[in-house]
Amino acid sequence: MRGLALGLWAVVLLQSSVDGRLDLLLRAAFHPLVSSAGGVLLMLAVVQVLVGLRQWRGGGEPSSRQERRLSAATAAVAAMLIALPANPSFADLASQRPADETGEESLSFVLPPAQRSLTDWVRLLRSQPDPQLFDGDPVRISGFVLPMTGAPPQLARLLVRCCLADATPVSLPVRWPVGDPLPRTDQWLAIEGRMAIESGQLEVVPERIQPIPRPARPLEP
Amino acid sequence: MTSAVLTRLNTAWALFQGLLLEAMPFLLIGVLIASLARWFSPGGAWLRRLPDHPVAGPLTGAALGFALPACECGNVPVARRLLVGGAPVGTALGFLFAAPVLNPIVIASTWAAFPDQPWLLLARPLGAVLVALGLALLLRLLPEAVLLRTDLLEERRLNQPLASVSLLERRGGVIGLADDAPPSLPSQPPPSWQEVLRHGSREFLYLALLLVAGCAVAALVQATLPRQWLLAVGGAPTLSIVALMALSLVLSVCSSVDAFLALGFAAQITPGALLAFLLLGPVIDIKLVGLLSLLFRGKGLLLTAAGSGVLVLLIGQWVNLWRL
Repeated sequence: MRGLALGLWAVVLLQSSVDGRLDLLLRAAFHPLVSSAGGVLLMLAVVQVLVGLRQWRGGGEPSSRQERRLSAATAAVAAMLIALPANPSFADLASQRPADETGEESLSFVLPPAQRSLTDWVRLLRSQPDPQLFDGDPVRISGFVLPMTGAPPQLARLLVRCCLADATPVSLPVRWPVGDPLPRTDQWLAIEGRMAIESGQLEVVPERIQPIPRPARPLEP
Repeated sequence: MTSAVLTRLNTAWALFQGLLLEAMPFLLIGVLIASLARWFSPGGAWLRRLPDHPVAGPLTGAALGFALPACECGNVPVARRLLVGGAPVGTALGFLFAAPVLNPIVIASTWAAFPDQPWLLLARPLGAVLVALGLALLLRLLPEAVLLRTDLLEERRLNQPLASVSLLERRGGVIGLADDAPPSLPSQPPPSWQEVLRHGSREFLYLALLLVAGCAVAALVQATLPRQWLLAVGGAPTLSIVALMALSLVLSVCSSVDAFLALGFAAQITPGALLAFLLLGPVIDIKLVGLLSLLFRGKGLLLTAAGSGVLVLLIGQWVNLWRL
């Protein structure tokens, strides 16, 4: 039973590493650590099962009731983790967090406008707040729809330094097409358009809005 | 059940998985180190030679942190091993409370996150040592039988010299064993690798279960408590410290990454609050309570929580007086 519980935990860690779950939950720097831990646990589980089988055949002492309960409880949690993948609402998570305020005073390297991600744009606008500098620049960004209190929804991304627990949102205002229904919360969109100034603030004026599936790596560092 | 509740539960489930998957490798590292220590030094004779001085003991324990590049989750099984092996309580507590900060990975991550704030690079390890020292002195006020869990205490007494523990207190050895565990005497040969594997596996599963409980509570609290509420008082000298202490309790992230997390709101809070956040989390948080219950009884846990809170608040206040 102990070997089975360890094996299930190994499956949790290894499966998370290969099925993209880690991309949704943890920053990439931690992925090798999780995979390695899964590998070590798998080895321990195999050895534990072999030792257990040998002891069982040799009529060795069975494990205590308390120990069997412990193994069963941990195995049940691991089975739940395997069966129920994570499917968070990024918009719900972002609504609980203040916007990310980090950013360098001046960026040392700036990509051409059409190659900037949403996060690049937010950081650039923070370091160079004059909207006139970017008026009319082409924009090609993607993100999820984040509802805003008392304002139209924005397009957002989550920044993560460790795991989803520390995710903080960054977002850009979008001038949604008049007459069209507002996009659904949490919907991922790819937007091509231009930057324009509205009430002294930059916003994205879309020329093309394309619904897209959630990217394989939706979190940004 | 409304879709909003389902959405929130989905988010909490994902937060739970994120916290758990991030902490699990560190827990495994800690259990592996504790198991190896048990294999190579079964009697733990060297542990009993560690200093028992009220100040030198915790400082020695804190210094041991440099040998273990793990966060607080990994430190709990190692601290338990120290206590079981008969190490002085103060030394083990110094290790438990300071090592999550005083290790190369955490110092490097603090420097990487705040390269423009050299004071923090000095203040964080120094603060961690002060908190560990204060807590070790405070917890020394409790007798071991009140501070430590009964099963841990019984194992520990088997490894303590009879000069310090009476035969009646031992409940084993010469008097007669209470359970099936053989007494770990200093001259005892190393246990077989099967025994080490069995013990280590059981310890890992037990700790994993406690970690699961801690992560579940932390995820539920995170999913329901808007973080803006805690950061709203960022500029107030005292309130900001209290708020960031509460945030560190709720967030429950490991010490190896909390500096990067603090970077996200460092600009909105006072320096004292920033340091308080970086000092309290490695000592206690929601996720850790379950793991610490493997070492301490109720009074010990309460005193740890209250003592660390007061110490960190005082250090944060002092830093605000100095830096603001």
